Amino acid sequence: MTSTINLEGKTLSSTIAKLNAPLTQAFDPRLNESPIAVNPTPTLNTQAQRLADFETLTAALEYAAAGTAGYNFYDARGNLRSILPYQALRANARTSAQRLAAIGLSSGDRVAIIADTTPEFVELFFACRYAGLIPFAMPVPVNLGSHAVYVQQLRGMLEAGQASAAVANVDYINFLEEAAEGSSGLRWVGTPEQLGEFPVADIVLPANRPDEIAYLQFTSGSTRTPRGVVITERALMSNLQGIVRNGLEIRAGDRCASWLPFYHDMGLVGMVMAPMVAQVSVDYLATRDFAIRPLQWLRLISRNRATVAFSQPFGLKLCTLRVRDSDLEDLDLSSWRAAGVGAEMIRPDTLRNFAEKFAPAGFDERAFLPCYGLAESTLAVTFSKVGQGFQSLRVDAGTLVDRKMAVRLQADGRKYSEFVNCGQALPGHIVKVVDDAGQELPDLRVGSVLVQGSSIMTGYFNNPEDTSKTLRPGNWLDTGDLGFLFEGDLYVTGRRTDVIIVNGRNIRAQDIEELAEQQPEVRAREASAFGISDANDVTTIVLVIECRLTSITDRQSLTNRLQRLVYMAFGVNCLVELVPPHTLPRTSSGKLSRFAARQGFIQRTNLTDQLSAESGDK
Amino acid sequence: MAIDYTDVLQKLCLHLEQFAGPGVVITPETDLINQLAIDSVKLLNLIMEIEDEFDISVPINALADVQTVHELATLVHQIKSAK
Repeated sequence: MTSTINLEGKTLSSTIAKLNAPLTQAFDPRLNESPIAVNPTPTLNTQAQRLADFETLTAALEYAAAGTAGYNFYDARGNLRSILPYQALRANARTSAQRLAAIGLSSGDRVAIIADTTPEFVELFFACRYAGLIPFAMPVPVNLGSHAVYVQQLRGMLEAGQASAAVANVDYINFLEEAAEGSSGLRWVGTPEQLGEFPVADIVLPANRPDEIAYLQFTSGSTRTPRGVVITERALMSNLQGIVRNGLEIRAGDRCASWLPFYHDMGLVGMVMAPMVAQVSVDYLATRDFAIRPLQWLRLISRNRATVAFSQPFGLKLCTLRVRDSDLEDLDLSSWRAAGVGAEMIRPDTLRNFAEKFAPAGFDERAFLPCYGLAESTLAVTFSKVGQGFQSLRVDAGTLVDRKMAVRLQADGRKYSEFVNCGQALPGHIVKVVDDAGQELPDLRVGSVLVQGSSIMTGYFNNPEDTSKTLRPGNWLDTGDLGFLFEGDLYVTGRRTDVIIVNGRNIRAQDIEELAEQQPEVRAREASAFGISDANDVTTIVLVIECRLTSITDRQSLTNRLQRLVYMAFGVNCLVELVPPHTLPRTSSGKLSRFAARQGFIQRTNLTDQLSAESGDK
Repeated sequence: MAIDYTDVLQKLCLHLEQFAGPGVVITPETDLINQLAIDSVKLLNLIMEIEDEFDISVPINALADVQTVHELATLVHQIKSAK
């Protein structure tokens, strides 16, 4: 990744870009006027702080609405564009809930919402809860030329979630309408403005119950088989309480700043719901604006004296790479006491490089707060101790791969792997590590990470097959991650081969293989996708295809097409290798083994020395 | 501040040269994905450069319909002309 970023010789204009106007506004100069001068919601609240001791999300909002905290939305230039105090959120959400009732939706129906970083999304999400409906967030398109794939992705989610209504703002409504074409289940598709034209039904909004479904969370950018995680109010409130009290130790004077997308569990649960249930104010920057100019997020933290801000490691990398040293002078990051890091494997060097870069701006490395979680457990599973920075363990790389054991490094000079301590499970949760036979392993032995506890999902919506694969007997959630425990703390060492993580995004290997198998030249079970990481931790997706084509032109055409399709679907380049039939290793049941396919690829291409040591993958 | 399509194209090509391998000549028909291999991280940098160069904001939803240099130039020209 380092090589692709050109920092030299390109000066960032001091008039940091124009605001991130949506398309319609970008074409309408009248709307590009200077922002309204308003103050963000205050950090110090007027009400007594209650730390997530509510039965439901709307009960929490009813309380927060009596105070002065709320959400603040900033544009790409760092100007405050709109504020949404919890008081206004409550009022607007209740009104919208009565409009949703006017559409004729009934309790438990699903409402799909394209989740741009806007006040309208948050209002609609809460409106659904007030109306007893189940909202789910859908992503915004991010890749070049991704129109068709994006629409297909939306269609997959609308179907998997069996949505009765779908909402998108004016920038995305065309994509949504296209995706909704021919759908039999959808009763209404429109924009928040169009919803506003409905009458406010004169009905009493029933209180939510702890055992009802709070929302669905879709877990991957999958094109064909998206899975909606079902989270109840009880699971949600349990997880939020753990995050707020035990993970972050939220207190008066805290303030959050976030660029995380609202369609991601860390963005939605961690940075929309968690602050609200503790009556804390949040400052938002759209993900797109952060990605293009990461400095704006740090400026927001600096200016508003934020204390809590989360990022994936990839976001920290972007900051380290793309913020110029001359920008550091104006930054004061000393207020930042909880720099949460999660959602993907954390490499110690990512944190060290960030700390080194931003120490002159007052960043205190003790703020690092590694944590581990997944949407299937609402969000958080483990947290390290707040205020202590990150701890790591160096283990012998050879023993890790050969014997699936983490042996602490005794002597210098041996090749090692270093893993970050993700801390202990939240109260009410247990983490264990098991071997392939499901037997619990002792400390320092690498195996599958399983979680049990009060935040675990009910299952995947309308998908008993995948649910039973993931929720094992005793309601142990199979996380799909590999790791080991040491003195009660969890160390994640990698993903099993079914997920490839590139630039912070989880891509399911199966999705890439299915994309390949849709090509007429490729038969089912003749494609294998996996990731390889080099010593710089740059992951490349490799797609190996068993191919009968002989003509060079045909082979080149297939390779080009596959690369293009993968790019359009996932925004990443991939390496395509065409091999003769029967090259890919299969298991006794005829299934392809991605792990073996990956080993074979490494041998064929003689890459062994250049790859980073990976842990005992299957 | 009027700017014509040709100017936009010319300036754009200067920014795109960093992605072109040896011997690759950038034309309006050049495919950003297949021929220039612009992945999501390179794209962020490119958008930043374009926004600074032309003093515009590129809406992310419009990029879903962009695959070639010509389509990108047309988009930039459209946004620039609307201001």
